[in-house]
Amino acid sequence: MRFKKMAATAASALTLAAILAGGAVRADELKVWTLTFDNNSANGAWTKIIKDFEAANPGIKISREGRSVDEHKAALRVAAQSSQGPDIYFMWAGLGLGGEFVKAGLSKPLDAYYEKYGWDKRLTPSAASFSKLYEGKRHGVPYTFHGEGIYYNKALFEKAGITSVPQTYDELKDDAAKFKKAGIAAFTFGGSVNWHVMRLMDVILEAKCGADKHDQLMDMKLDWSTEPCATASFEELNDWSQNYILKPFMGIDNSQAFKLFLANRAAMMLEGDWLVDQLRGAKKLEGIDLFPFPTGTDRLYGFAEYLYVSAKSAHPDDAAKFLDYLLSDKVQQESLGAFGSISVNSNVKYEKVDALDQKWIDIFGKYKKIYMNGDQAFPLDVTTEYFRVINEVASGNMKPADAGKTLQTFISNRKG
Amino acid sequence: MSKASLSMRPALQGYVLLAPALLVYLLFAVYPMIDVIRMSFASWNGLSAESRFVGIDNYRAVLTQDPVFWGALWNTLWWTALAVVIPNLISFGLALALNQNVPGRSSLRVVFYLPVIIASIAVATIWKWMYDPFFGLFNSLLTSWGLSDWIVDWLGDRKIALWSVFAAHVWQSVGFSMVLFLAGLQSVSLTLIEAARIDGAGRWAVFRHVTLPALTPTITIVFVLSLINSLKAFDIVYGMTGGGPAQSTQMLAMWAYTQSMQLGDFGRGAAISVILLLITLAVVVPYMRWMFRNPEDAR
Repeated sequence: MRFKKMAATAASALTLAAILAGGAVRADELKVWTLTFDNNSANGAWTKIIKDFEAANPGIKISREGRSVDEHKAALRVAAQSSQGPDIYFMWAGLGLGGEFVKAGLSKPLDAYYEKYGWDKRLTPSAASFSKLYEGKRHGVPYTFHGEGIYYNKALFEKAGITSVPQTYDELKDDAAKFKKAGIAAFTFGGSVNWHVMRLMDVILEAKCGADKHDQLMDMKLDWSTEPCATASFEELNDWSQNYILKPFMGIDNSQAFKLFLANRAAMMLEGDWLVDQLRGAKKLEGIDLFPFPTGTDRLYGFAEYLYVSAKSAHPDDAAKFLDYLLSDKVQQESLGAFGSISVNSNVKYEKVDALDQKWIDIFGKYKKIYMNGDQAFPLDVTTEYFRVINEVASGNMKPADAGKTLQTFISNRKG
Repeated sequence: MSKASLSMRPALQGYVLLAPALLVYLLFAVYPMIDVIRMSFASWNGLSAESRFVGIDNYRAVLTQDPVFWGALWNTLWWTALAVVIPNLISFGLALALNQNVPGRSSLRVVFYLPVIIASIAVATIWKWMYDPFFGLFNSLLTSWGLSDWIVDWLGDRKIALWSVFAAHVWQSVGFSMVLFLAGLQSVSLTLIEAARIDGAGRWAVFRHVTLPALTPTITIVFVLSLINSLKAFDIVYGMTGGGPAQSTQMLAMWAYTQSMQLGDFGRGAAISVILLLITLAVVVPYMRWMFRNPEDAR
């Protein structure tokens, strides 16, 4: 009898604990997985956005976890097999990195939420366009929209006798020769992070192949081994790396390259709009200006970063509510400059911005089309080989004539 | 204690005591190993719920189409061969020196052992900074000594990058083997050494015929530990070069990780892991057989 009583008490306690635990779940904790951010303003903005959202929505608690790029990708893969993953996750837009997760069914289609919250009315069309890349459904919302261009040291341009920024690729090469003659390295890159030198290859391909052929090469519909412009691009890459890039560059990363740029060791750097904030932090805005890489096409080099709602999220409505808050005019206006020079919200007003910010706003206003970074256009395995081939050519270990063939062999051999 | 447990046969008691450890071993070592072998015959991207049986496709792709695999295999074998010899010779020399009555030997032992307790990823960061071609210690020293022509891209030049990483590995690992050798040296019988000296043996003869044979078990342990650790080299290379430049410092263990966790090709990653396992077994099993056949030598 006594045992029965004890068992009943224990069962009641367990039931109560389960109810309490259930209650805790009903507090709707949203897990948001992003990258870690180098600039403090982005971290500060995220903290404020979450705090304000939680205050306005007492039933929803947000926990944000930031990881480095590789850790983030690995964590998402592990989470894909469990129910412990995020409700909202960061990933680049496009068919490469972001598309892989969409293809695997890990992103929830957001058509209904686009409709419900009227996101298209406030998002810039170019930034939102990536959500339509996937057949049938729309996935993710834009978090940032970035352009990449050439930042240049005005004093070093003057020292080399260059009075205006180049308008064509050939003029850029002529300027590079002037820098060399003046004993100045034209560019600085960090080769240890593969994607930094890749940017140079990407823009050369756009300049040498033109928009259509460049797209077809990245879509793997053109043969890299037989396409003359691909070989010409590798030859150009080799020429830049042997003659005009500050050496040595294969053993340093992008942040070291940035330090060298700040130390006036090179005249130019191919970077994104986020560099403005870093220049501001280093109090170096005055001596630097920028221009888009002159490719001769009417496209801007850039990419978008997206926030996707996980298909496994138990709270997709809350997740959409948070994204709606994040994309709101108020939040985007308050966070202006924290995530990039330009907001993905077209209603944001740009007042009292620095000259470089204004330059980016003008550039974004001018270009209607973009071409993406190679590592976001290619599937992951091809990207890895693309990096390897670029690095081999850039470090003089592979003949440019062999580079296209090597890359094409890999593409032809891959499954699926 | 009950009569039953008191009367439990010793063998049974042994099994009962072993059971928890055996269970953990089966769960966390044997099962994953079997699962990796299974996965090496499948195609799985790590995202979808289902994997697909593909036979030996992964092995064929790794061995015939992967532009990095053979380089990674060569690097792993190169690393293993050197890591078994060079750091251990230095360790042995240090142990012999620090086994003498030299002033401050306790402090010196601590100094040489200190890198062992630093996490590999921290060692990688320290050395990466020292190797920085513009601001790093080595190139700054070369510049200050007027040897600017000798400045190199320590981690960016494929001809020397793996050597540069290996130097960091040597710095980190000599202390560990040194301690083992020191322990071995202190167990050498002083009576035997004294007897050899009375018989007229010089320093070299004592070392060759008394000290070295007495150290055989220690040398064997150091050899096997170095061998196994070298074959699975990962963290310090990952931290210093990430396999670059252009995959020239890639290692098999790291390439397996890259294929699985970064490229999402778990089948190929598993195939590379199985190949690494087979290489390890091919080296270690003959040694184990020898050890069990010659228990006196291996003791």
